[in-house]
Order: sequence, then structure tokens, then C-alpha cells
Amino acid sequence: MEEIKSVVELKDVTKDYGDFKLNQVSFTVPEGSVCGFIGQNGAGKTTTIKLMLDVIKADEGEIRLFGESIGKDSARLREDIGVVFDEMGFHEFMTGRDINIMMKNIYKNWDEDVFFDYLKRFSLPTRKKCGDFSRGMRMKLQIAVALSHHAKLLIMDEPTSGLDPIVRNEMIQIFREFVIEEDHTILLSSHITGDLEKLADEVVFINAGKIVLAGNKDDILEKHGLLKCKKSELEKISEPLIVNVAPGTFGVEVLVNDRKACEKLYPQMVIEPASLEDIMLFYVNKDSKNVGNMTAETD
Amino acid sequence: MKGLVLKDLMCLRKQLIIFGYVVVGVLVLSVMFVLSARFGNIAMANQAMVATEDLSASDIADLSTNVLILFMLLPLATVGDFANVFTEDGKAGFFNVSSILPVSIKNRVLAKYVTIFAMFGIGAFIDIIIAFVLSMLTDIISFTDFLGIITSATSVMAIYSALVIVFCFLFGYGKEDYARLISPFLMLVTAISLNFSNIRKSITAGDIELINRCMNFIKHKSYVLLLIAVFVMVVSYFVSVRIAERKRGIV
Repeated sequence: MEEIKSVVELKDVTKDYGDFKLNQVSFTVPEGSVCGFIGQNGAGKTTTIKLMLDVIKADEGEIRLFGESIGKDSARLREDIGVVFDEMGFHEFMTGRDINIMMKNIYKNWDEDVFFDYLKRFSLPTRKKCGDFSRGMRMKLQIAVALSHHAKLLIMDEPTSGLDPIVRNEMIQIFREFVIEEDHTILLSSHITGDLEKLADEVVFINAGKIVLAGNKDDILEKHGLLKCKKSELEKISEPLIVNVAPGTFGVEVLVNDRKACEKLYPQMVIEPASLEDIMLFYVNKDSKNVGNMTAETD
Repeated sequence: MKGLVLKDLMCLRKQLIIFGYVVVGVLVLSVMFVLSARFGNIAMANQAMVATEDLSASDIADLSTNVLILFMLLPLATVGDFANVFTEDGKAGFFNVSSILPVSIKNRVLAKYVTIFAMFGIGAFIDIIIAFVLSMLTDIISFTDFLGIITSATSVMAIYSALVIVFCFLFGYGKEDYARLISPFLMLVTAISLNFSNIRKSITAGDIELINRCMNFIKHKSYVLLLIAVFVMVVSYFVSVRIAERKRGIV
């Protein structure tokens, strides 16, 4: 069987800012996959992306892109990476034509036909200053730039935040088209888990600078479950199975990390599939509202 | 890197338009000067000087030449202010774009210096053409003297820009005005410090010998200023690269 290549590899990456620390972050993104990088605002998603792009230097650990360590020649590696940030970064006086002139003299593989095709598809005027574009149009412009130099890896930091659902769906469709090519990979950072649920194959969940969960999205969704029970029933549940507990409409909701085991152990209890949003919320609140507190309340 | 130079030139688009107007203005003034030098007041002043041996008439001709030289240097001055590129980059948050491009930090810094040379190249080229035409049509100032003045002016502007870039990298976006103020101040202080005794002597004696010596230096020893400019530019580039790498390209 052919070995699956990793396009992005982070191993024990640490970056300490004093008031915030990215702590021993390790994960991989397999080639040809869409990896959702989720976490609440300030969890360390953008810092991790900046480390990957060699915009900032890690204090410790190793980062490899396309199998190569980024320290040596990160500028060359960026030739194969398309990046979309939540803020545009192009000068407001620039038009689509200006951006094309600039980019075709920077990227070796810049394809102006592809670029203008995207502008046409996104209904973006080529002669209008991008300062006059709406947020959705600016995002589309960035995506057009990111896709016009035949990038193999697309890294996007909150590309769909602040966009209306129609534009968001349009974006998701474009991302789907991008990953049709076998060697195309997407790392999509977002806190809008609904988009990732539609698109992602892999999920990396970061919270307070630490990786909480990483792996195949379907496996994660299959493993986790939302158990609904009365507060008094909570102590019956085996503690290692519980991720976190939250008050529900008629009792409590418990996120469990092994749904099948729970179904066997507690057949009388209702266990529903958990969404990525549920998983994110329960993990984020794990430290503040843990099971210990809830059981104490029950007592 | 070429793309970044083009982007910088786009940022200086307004300056280039002003440059165009200034060039037209200088051309008009030059034509008027030529006409005056051949048929007008300057020619008459020269004739009067020859007829009456009146030195004040000669001063008028010198004065008008100096004024023309000042006007000729305007195109250079128009393209010389590079800090606008930093202002525009800062406003746009261009760092988000430049940091993801396949261009190393060294080359990103180099692009700024190439843009300066491109701008000075345009300014100096236009000035040289005007100087050539003027020296052909009048005999008040020779082309070599003109060339010396242009070289000196370009060198001074290059030193100024080299300092501005370093300070822009050092202070970061939004503080370009400080760079604009500190750079000429630093140049002035250095120039005064190096010539302090000569300046004091000249002030004590109350003569204009120092000004004449300065003009001679500008016209005939411009290569000294050029060498200083090259040295400052090279040092400025390496310092800027060091600062930019320390800030990981965020200026």
C-alpha cells in the first residue's frame, strides 16, 4: 500500500510570548486532504499558521512543509502555497490588473488567464480599486490570488468569517474544486465549525495553545457522543469516558469520548451524535466547568 | 522581487504624476532662461558687464543661473521622498501579503533600494537631458559643472533616502514622519560637525568664501559626495536587512 505523504508536519512546536504560549504543538496534514483547524479566538490558530509560513520563528520544535524543513528555504516553499488571511492586505488603490502585474513578476507559476477567469467567475471588476470592494469581494480577490499560481497547499485563516451564507457556500464549492486534484491540500482555520463539517476530512482542534484533538473528522465525530441524563445519574458514568459536563434543558449533557462503549454500558441513557461545535464547546469549557464541579453540585 | 519594485512604483504613482508636472515646469523655465540668456535681461546684464565692467551685473547672471539650478533639482526632490511607500504599505497592511510571497526578507528589503535607484535614475536622467540642452544653448554654465551639480544633488538625496529607509524599518509603520525629520537633521548635524571650524572662521570673518567653496565642491568634487552616498546606501541596506530579519519582515 502506498504511504500517505504529509504536506504539513509540526513536531513539538513551541512559541512563548510570555502572556501566551503555543505549547508542544504537533500534528500532520496528509496530502490531498482538507484539514479543519479549529479553536476559539485567541487559541493559537493564527500563530501556528504564521509559524508554518516562517513569518515568525518557533522557539522549539520542527516544522516541515512538503517534507522539507522550513528554516532552510521558506521563500521557495511558499511558491507552492496559497494563503488567505481574514484581512486583505492589498493597497486600496490597486485594481485587479495592478495585482496581476505585481504577482506575475513574483510567482514563477503565476497564471494570469486563471486569475482573470477567477475574477470573472467571482464577478470582480478588473479596473475597480479594491479599496471599494465589499468584504466578500475582498475575500474572493484573495482566494483568486491564492489559486492563480498553481499552489499545492492552500492555507486559509478564517476565510469565511463575516461573510453571508451564500458567499460562504460559494467559497466552500471552490475549495472542493481545488481538492479534486489529488496532490492539492487545504488547511482551513476557522471557528465556524459548520463549514468545516461540510468540507473537512481531518480536524485539528487547538485550545489555549495546546492541541486537544487531531485526526480524521469522521472518526472524531463517531467516537464522541452527547449523553443526556439527570444530574443524579451522572455519578454512574465512568469518569474516563467523560470529556465535560454542561447543564442541559432537562438535566445535564455529557460529552463522552467513546460513544459505542457508552451505548453498551448505559443502554438506558440517550446518546446522540455530537457535532464539531459541541465537541469544541465542551473541550473549551473543560477546565472551567469540569465533571468534578458538576458532581459536587449534585452531591 | 521585480513585482515588489513595481508595487512600490505604484505606491509612488502620485509622486510620479507630480514629477511629470514639475518636469514640464522646469522645461518651461529652462526655455525662458535660454531666451533670456540669449536675447533678454541676462544677455543684457552680460553686455552691460562687458561694457561697464560692473561686477553687480555679473552677480545677476550668477544669481539667475543658481536659481535655474535650484529649479532643475526639483524633479530629483520630487522623486526623492521614499517614505510614502512605507506609509501606503502600513495603511494597507501589506505585510500580510509580503510575508506569504516567495520572496526572502533580504530581497524584500532590496526591492525598496532598487525602487529608490529607479526613481533617482528617472530624476537624474531628466536633469541630465535638461542640463545637456541648456549647456548647448547657453555659455553661462558648462555641461561638466551641471553634471557635478546633478551628481551632488542625487548623492545628497540618496543619503537622505538611505537614512529614511533605515529609520522606517526601525520605527515601523505609521512613523514615517519621524524618519523624515530625523534624517535631514542627522545629515545637517554631521555636515556642520565635520566643517565646524571652517564655518566658524567664515562667520567670524563675515565673508562668503565658504559659500563659494561649497559651490565649487558641489560642481567639481561631486564624486566625493557620490562615494559617501554609495557607502551610506550599502551600510543602510545591511542595517535594514538586519532590522527587518529581527522583526521577521514586519516593519
